[in-house]
Amino acid sequence: MALEDLRNEMETCRRCSACKFMPFEKVSGYQPVNVCPSISRYNFHTYSGGGRMVNGVALLEDRIGFSEKFIEVMYNCQVCGACDVSCKYAMDMEVIEPIYETRIKAVKEGHTSPDLDKVVNSLRKQGTMVPGARIKRGDWAAGLGLKDCTAEKVDVIYHAGCLTSFNKDMWKQAKSIVKLLQKADVDFGIAGEKETCCGGRAYQMGYQEDFLNQARKNMAMITKSGAKTLVTGCADGYHAFKVLYDKFDLKGDLEVLHVTEYLDNLIKAGKLTPKKRLDITVTYHDPCHLGRLGEPFIHWQGREVPGHIRIFEPRKEFRRGTYGVYEPPRAVLKSIPGLKLVEMGRIKEYAWCCGAGGGVSESNPDFSMWTALERVAEAEATEAQAITTACPWCVKNFNGAIKERGSNLKVFDVVELLARAV
Amino acid sequence: MALARDFYWSLEGILGAENVSEDPVVTESYSFPIRRKTMPDKVTYLPRFEAVALPASTAEVQAIVRLCNRHKVQYKASSTGWLYCDPVGPNCIKLDLRRMNRILEINEKGMYAAIEPYVVGAQLQAELMKRGLTCNQCGAGANCSVMPLASHVGLGHMSQSGSYTERNLLAVEWVTGDGEIVRLGSLGSHGDWFCGDGPGPSLRGIIRGNTTPLAGLGVFTAGAVKVYHWPGPAAWRVDGVCPKYTHPEMPPNFMIRYLSFKDIDDAFEAVRRVGEAEIGYTLMGFNAAMMASNIATDNQEDLDYLKRFAGQVQGVGFLLIIVGNSALDFDYKKRTLEQIMAETGAMSLKDVEDPVMGAGFAWRFIRITGSIRETSRATGWGGGTVGGSDVFPLMTRYILHTSHLKQQLIDQGLIMDDFTHPFIQSIEHGHTGHGEILIRYNPAGPDHIARVQGMLSREANKTAIEGRFGVPHHVWSDALHDMYGPNVGNYHLLLRKIKKNFDPGQASESSNYITAKEEK
Repeated sequence: MALEDLRNEMETCRRCSACKFMPFEKVSGYQPVNVCPSISRYNFHTYSGGGRMVNGVALLEDRIGFSEKFIEVMYNCQVCGACDVSCKYAMDMEVIEPIYETRIKAVKEGHTSPDLDKVVNSLRKQGTMVPGARIKRGDWAAGLGLKDCTAEKVDVIYHAGCLTSFNKDMWKQAKSIVKLLQKADVDFGIAGEKETCCGGRAYQMGYQEDFLNQARKNMAMITKSGAKTLVTGCADGYHAFKVLYDKFDLKGDLEVLHVTEYLDNLIKAGKLTPKKRLDITVTYHDPCHLGRLGEPFIHWQGREVPGHIRIFEPRKEFRRGTYGVYEPPRAVLKSIPGLKLVEMGRIKEYAWCCGAGGGVSESNPDFSMWTALERVAEAEATEAQAITTACPWCVKNFNGAIKERGSNLKVFDVVELLARAV
Repeated sequence: MALARDFYWSLEGILGAENVSEDPVVTESYSFPIRRKTMPDKVTYLPRFEAVALPASTAEVQAIVRLCNRHKVQYKASSTGWLYCDPVGPNCIKLDLRRMNRILEINEKGMYAAIEPYVVGAQLQAELMKRGLTCNQCGAGANCSVMPLASHVGLGHMSQSGSYTERNLLAVEWVTGDGEIVRLGSLGSHGDWFCGDGPGPSLRGIIRGNTTPLAGLGVFTAGAVKVYHWPGPAAWRVDGVCPKYTHPEMPPNFMIRYLSFKDIDDAFEAVRRVGEAEIGYTLMGFNAAMMASNIATDNQEDLDYLKRFAGQVQGVGFLLIIVGNSALDFDYKKRTLEQIMAETGAMSLKDVEDPVMGAGFAWRFIRITGSIRETSRATGWGGGTVGGSDVFPLMTRYILHTSHLKQQLIDQGLIMDDFTHPFIQSIEHGHTGHGEILIRYNPAGPDHIARVQGMLSREANKTAIEGRFGVPHHVWSDALHDMYGPNVGNYHLLLRKIKKNFDPGQASESSNYITAKEEK
């Protein structure tokens, strides 16, 4: 769907400013109340979901073009989807879709950010969104004796993802997952050197064709392997395989699970039992692409029925973040003896973003850090000893922010703690 | 028309370069293209502000206002900016007050809160509830500024017990049109934010007027708002995930009902008696369509609920929330209501009586989170006409006189047929009243706006003037004031004098208020 096709969505914006705040039913005090990092940091309405709708229409009508400022505003947004959720508390309109499509249009017409071009060039040449990596994708699994899903039949493919593979600091997450899957006797394998990027972050940045290339490569490999289930430890990867591949009719019957969903199932089935006590108080950060953006894609084809109320034939269900993955990571944490989970003010569908998405960590590291610092401060206020999450991109950003802030907080992926407890 | 460089550089000097922009990408986003739909036919373009500025303090606002006066540039301020904040012509800059968002003080003993204009209703209400207090919120919703002068007339769902702008505005900090800082109320004498009315005319009343100046008389940089006792929980329990929130518990001593009546006289009698007994926390003359929109999480569901509710109401109705300060107080109020219902033939909507659904209705109406659903979700565009605030029977008659037009518009296929009645609310337990005709429609057709809104406005104005109903709250702009003024003691001449005196340079853009144009 092109930006032109979303004109009516954008023109449905009422300029109520709800996109700037968490859903008002849930506001419990003066703070926290903001939900969009972009408007919170830059303050001009331009940077809000509503402002982006206005400028999307202006772009279609040639009142503004892809100027340097337009590109700056466009990419100073993590595409975290918080505006979309808050808007759709009350409205029937798309917000994040026009934001995606504006980026796609920009890239198609050659208006890109040099910083993001560099990342996508790395994807094109090396199949990774981590430019300049000096290690090989499969190095993290050296000596683990894992099955090669491209050569051997397995029930489950574990897709490690770019950041986990190419950043040694993240290897502990992958190794924890391996340990847990082995402990539960899961028949799984990895693609190792043949694994390639899911393409999700390229899509977030507007490079739709590059995303599609990656998606086709991945699905060819997965289909050939015969595996029916794919597990990812990365929220971006989860969103790509589960939502975006489905959006473009590439997912087929593949079952896509985030590792926290998979482990939660194993625990509930009695195949994994956390026994070791971990006396720690943690808070949990919902990754945007696992939480509000992680709900299944809804296929719909039809038409808007002309009239004085926007209804559709057949009935259209909007994706509103309601059915994202919120409980499984919490259930995994709660299964660990001794662990105490305390919640932050902004959670689940209205969680504050870690700052790493949408190309922001690559194109504007300062804004990415600013966003993460706000979340770390919020986590500190819970008096937790650690912030846990379920995505390596969030882990990386929080580690940076904690260092910058001089905080005593620790950062863990949920799977690390579970692996310690099992 | 580009701003003079020395002016722009001065703006940057006041605010820092990152808090001011004249880039078209920024200014365009404040031009709100959808409002084109309200313009006369063939208007396809709204002007942009010349620049957008983000002041963070009263001192910065004052400096900008003085700069504008020196350079003969106009300015227009707004907070969350839902309505009346668009640019209307060249040579005007925008003051987006987003950075002025602090709660300055909550005075529990004095029962007031001092706030900056970008504090929204949800924030202050939530903070107050922790302290056993609450505030009136503007009926447009929790997304709007809670500062009375920033939010139209400040009528809201709590106006039955919590009044509106006229009563709730205490002290004000005001940067006048030409840049003086005026502090009204005790604030002007001994620094507190308490009510400032003393002997003689109230300056608060003068600057507020019938409808508030809607950004046309300088900038209100802080205000003290009266707060009220809140007998409910510090936090209302809300479970689930947006928008499918659930509300498993109705707090003790809370009750919500939607009552409908066979004829309008019975309904008015019930409103009168509820007011007389002072049992209502909220009394809003919503119709079944607004009830449906409030609970529904999408338009289709809205229609489904409307169909369901329509079969459960017998005519005109109102929403009532009763809150007891103790079990005994609650019991008294409940029994009083039962008697009123029996004597006026009220029928209660069963779905609202359901404890779980009822708790959700109650919270959405108290927090005022459903107003966007009620007014905007249908097509992104709503409309109608707004009555004034006067004695309840007078206002109800005014709305009834104008409401027949809604049916005409429905018959012509110009607006949505929600087969419901006009919306009338009682204020201060029936001391005064207010009515609105809210309509939902698709504005996309050629001359659609002109036909719908034109007809509605013309009829509403004609009824108000010919019926001597007073000046409604939708009266702003020179054209409307000039039309109403001669019929209402030439008030427009005084209003114009106020504008001239407090904004001699006409720097505060006042197309939604009144300009100081010379009288013929």
